[in-house]
Amino acid sequence: MRDYALFVPEYIAAGWAVLVIAIELFWPKVRKDTLAYVTAAGALAWAVSALFYIGNEPESFQGLIQSDNFTTYFRLLAAGIVAAVSIMSANYLRDRTKTAGEYFGLLLVAGCATVYMAAATELITAYISLELLSFCLYILVGYLKRDNLSSEAALKYILLGAFSSAMLLYGMSLLYGIAGSTSYEGISQGLAARDQGGTDAGIVVAFMLILAGVGFKVSAAPFHMWAPDAYQGAPLPITALLSTLSKAAGFALILRLFSLAFVVDAVEWRWAFATLAAVTMTAGNLLALQQKNLKRLVAYSSIGQVGYMLVTIAAIGYGDATVGVNATSGLLVHIVGYVVSTLALFTALTAYYNKTGDDTIVGLRGLAETQPFLAVVITASFFSFAGLPFFAGFTTKLLMFQGATTDELLWVIGLAVLNSFISLYYYLMIVRQMYLFDPIPGMVRFRINPVMWVMSAGLMLGVLLIGIYPGPAFKAAENAAKPLFQQAEPGVAARQP
Amino acid sequence: MGAEQAWLLAAIPAGVFFVLALFGRYLPRGGDYLGVAAIGASFVLFFFVAADFLSFYDFEAHKTFITESISWSEIGNFKLRQGIHVDAITIVMFAVITTVSLMVNIFSVGYMKGEPRYYWFFAVLQLFVASMLLLVMADNLLLVYISWELVGVCSFLLIGFYWEKRSATEAAKKAFITTRIGDVGLLIGIILLWKETGTFDIQQIIHAAEAGEIGQTYLFVSIMFVFLGCMGKSAQFPFHVWLPDAMEGPTPVSALIHAATMVVAGVYLTARLLPIFEAADGALLVVTIVGLTTALLASLIAFAQTDIKRVLAYSTVGKLGLMFVALGAGSPAAGLFLLMTHAFVKALLFLGSGSVILGTHHNQEMDKLGGLWKKMPITGTTFFVATLALAGLPPLAMFWSEDELFASVNHEWGLWALVLAMLAVFATAIFMVRLFIRTFAGEPRDRQVHEHARETPLVMTGPLVFLCVLAVVSGLFVFNGVGSALGFPGGIGEFVFLEEPERYAIDWTLAGISLAVAVAGVLIGAYVYWGNSLVRSTRLAEAMPRLYAALRNKFYIDEMYQYVIDRGVLGVSYVVSWFDRYVVNDTGVDGSAQVTGYSGSILKYLQTGRVPNYAMAITLGVVGLTVAGLLVRA
Repeated sequence: MRDYALFVPEYIAAGWAVLVIAIELFWPKVRKDTLAYVTAAGALAWAVSALFYIGNEPESFQGLIQSDNFTTYFRLLAAGIVAAVSIMSANYLRDRTKTAGEYFGLLLVAGCATVYMAAATELITAYISLELLSFCLYILVGYLKRDNLSSEAALKYILLGAFSSAMLLYGMSLLYGIAGSTSYEGISQGLAARDQGGTDAGIVVAFMLILAGVGFKVSAAPFHMWAPDAYQGAPLPITALLSTLSKAAGFALILRLFSLAFVVDAVEWRWAFATLAAVTMTAGNLLALQQKNLKRLVAYSSIGQVGYMLVTIAAIGYGDATVGVNATSGLLVHIVGYVVSTLALFTALTAYYNKTGDDTIVGLRGLAETQPFLAVVITASFFSFAGLPFFAGFTTKLLMFQGATTDELLWVIGLAVLNSFISLYYYLMIVRQMYLFDPIPGMVRFRINPVMWVMSAGLMLGVLLIGIYPGPAFKAAENAAKPLFQQAEPGVAARQP
Repeated sequence: MGAEQAWLLAAIPAGVFFVLALFGRYLPRGGDYLGVAAIGASFVLFFFVAADFLSFYDFEAHKTFITESISWSEIGNFKLRQGIHVDAITIVMFAVITTVSLMVNIFSVGYMKGEPRYYWFFAVLQLFVASMLLLVMADNLLLVYISWELVGVCSFLLIGFYWEKRSATEAAKKAFITTRIGDVGLLIGIILLWKETGTFDIQQIIHAAEAGEIGQTYLFVSIMFVFLGCMGKSAQFPFHVWLPDAMEGPTPVSALIHAATMVVAGVYLTARLLPIFEAADGALLVVTIVGLTTALLASLIAFAQTDIKRVLAYSTVGKLGLMFVALGAGSPAAGLFLLMTHAFVKALLFLGSGSVILGTHHNQEMDKLGGLWKKMPITGTTFFVATLALAGLPPLAMFWSEDELFASVNHEWGLWALVLAMLAVFATAIFMVRLFIRTFAGEPRDRQVHEHARETPLVMTGPLVFLCVLAVVSGLFVFNGVGSALGFPGGIGEFVFLEEPERYAIDWTLAGISLAVAVAGVLIGAYVYWGNSLVRSTRLAEAMPRLYAALRNKFYIDEMYQYVIDRGVLGVSYVVSWFDRYVVNDTGVDGSAQVTGYSGSILKYLQTGRVPNYAMAITLGVVGLTVAGLLVRA
């Protein structure tokens, strides 16, 4: 049966996107910040409708897309991100462009694409969802077309995006040739039925190509080089979108793909994830030390964070289904902690940028005097990234590594702890700028938009809440993780060397 | 509203803390009415909780506590629940804390009028009370520790409330650091107990200890670490040095700290964990010896002090010692009963001295006071009653509780402990009479001060009268008749107990001796100091110059600590700091930082900003991974 009702929340989001564009089309004089709040309301409606899907039995649409708790988890996450980013953009866009309808419409579409990446259970669907997200992001990154950096960033992003998409497609074709199916379940069966003797060079090549494609999406080293340039050039709220929505979407796709389709041949790819994790976290953190621009610094620090997250994917490969559930729920809850901290940071940075137009690290000098509240929010989110206790990052990272610990991965986790020390240095350098230095001459105390104030306060409270009382968030993540492994278990057991 | 909702008692003041801390400065009158209302609400709710608990309570049917908890986090095998545990001990503590804090709050409205940071004072007061209430109902040691530290932080903030004064900041630091030393012990103790039993839940730990699941030595060591925390918080020797200095805070805070929220925390925790102390051989003896030492030491030092509040502070230290003696005798009933009566009496004394201080325009040196009774009749009368109560005269409250104490000490340890405990009571009677006479009776020593003294307003004398009534009647809780009327038949002895409820039976011999000791103390004090003339006492001091100097200087304990810190700690710290500077810092930290920074600066040249280079990196990545994959599998 074709159950079109499975994706009602996304109809709302997509419909709202059209609505937002239409509003501006027929009423060009509409205030751009009004459009932002309309979009946020749409995202909220989307989230509310998604609430009805919590706990529903997993149901598949034609074996292509699956609606289950995992999908719903990302629905709520994507809706939240879109709402936050559109509110963040309200004044930013009003001051910089004359047309904003497409911008907000694309935000909602990007959110839908994320959900489909989480829901896809078939290669072509997954690929199209990924491209849908990418195209939204290409446009959004280059939205300030009179800004040279913005255009350059978009161009680089498109070129490299196309390049890695090609790799992904090539990998998928090879895989189809080997497994004889494009559905995740079919691939899993096809791989299991293969001749057991020796290694098939084709399958290694296929996996590595796919790895490069999805690794590009989450900006894992050495596929990360676009990220700093794109982050720096993009409008500030879109930088927030890149480091939250795009990464969450990438991990959603990786999680379902690797835990469902590829887990049978885990032995062929798990070491690669461990290696990538180690390389990514080290490269991200070392390079972050050298940055002078805030957006670039956040880009590298988020690359470092991705390194930590990749450990869990390796853990899925090394462990059994129990480890898989634990590692996945750890990763899911950490994504939430990371997203909330990042959004808090960017809300504060955008509020600050709207006033000063400065995105260098030294520009934050003396912020504790000119705008103490923003300084507190920024400090809280950096403490969360660095993993200091009582902040979200500490608790969720602890949960993640606890779930992902297997004997083979201890070395990576040790390296992650070492990297956390390094990261503390550059986070504290910024905190030092804000608290220990006098403001730049001429800077006086300024006020910020009350909406931004409320949002940053709320997000900061979220950071603390997750840090101190992670129980409910972890429970939700655990429920979201279960469907992935319930299906894998009865099918075929992982082949061990 | 039942005992399951007892958490509201703490939640209401905690909520008001946030309101006052954030918006207090914008509210008219600094929002002091909110503070009074919050504590007042807790005070009223307490009666509902108590009524519910008493109607539920049935010892025969093993219905002795109500508990309510929620799952805090449940991750893999690690399960943590947070909740409340309401039993007889909690109810007694609730009664003390809510009553005394309400009185202190109302009193502060008058006392703190016109002070800077008025709203902040009330805000922290709320948090102080909330954390203490949380402490006494926490069902697990983790929550105990958190609220324990919150109490410590609040006391730090309030003792150092006048932070423009150097002595106030010094006192706040001293209180904080001294209690912290004990707190480290508490934390170690909690971790040790958790490690062995795998739980923070107090009742489960007690069961494990009673069932002998923990080795004797292990149990003894871990409970002694916990006791260190109790000693620090309750100002027991050798940690007692912070409490007399803590009077640098506003006087209502002293009343709160001495009576309800700070120092009794240690007594409470010891009472709560008393079954563990009993299960560990020798632990109760340690408690008793610490208590007796402190009681005697403090009672002696109090003789030679001239600051009203300082004398009261030493009397608190002494009485806290006696509470530990009661607990050491295995009688939580006597300990908590003493805690309760002492709380009312001591709050009254401190608020009374606050009233004196305000009435005489900030004078608290006894050398300048005297003859105030006529000028301040209400303060004088209530102070008189409190003095006699603290001296242990019947039928006032503390006579009964000390009688309970003597009975249990006599029963558990015999004559030697009984004599020592009575000595402390005897000394207290003398110096309390001294304090009263020198402040209120006889000829004023400073005309100027006396002329300008006046009675304080109703908002301050009201709480004095209320507490005075309690100081008279609260001793009667020990009797079956009073207990039955209020819903706990058998009096406090059958309400709070360790294993078997025990009804209070008056032992005429002991009561007679204790009465004789108290009366003797009062008479001697009256004889020596009569008429506020210092002729006799000066002669005494001159007869024993060495002893007097030692008492005056508090046995030089502060000086000894200073010496040890200067020579010992600073000496060691010099060596450590050398090691830190040259080995850890220059080689370890800076060295590794330079290596890290250098690698980053090399790596950054890979980021050229040119698209072909980036594409090349992707390609090389894929090729490298594939080759590695084939090699690994081959």
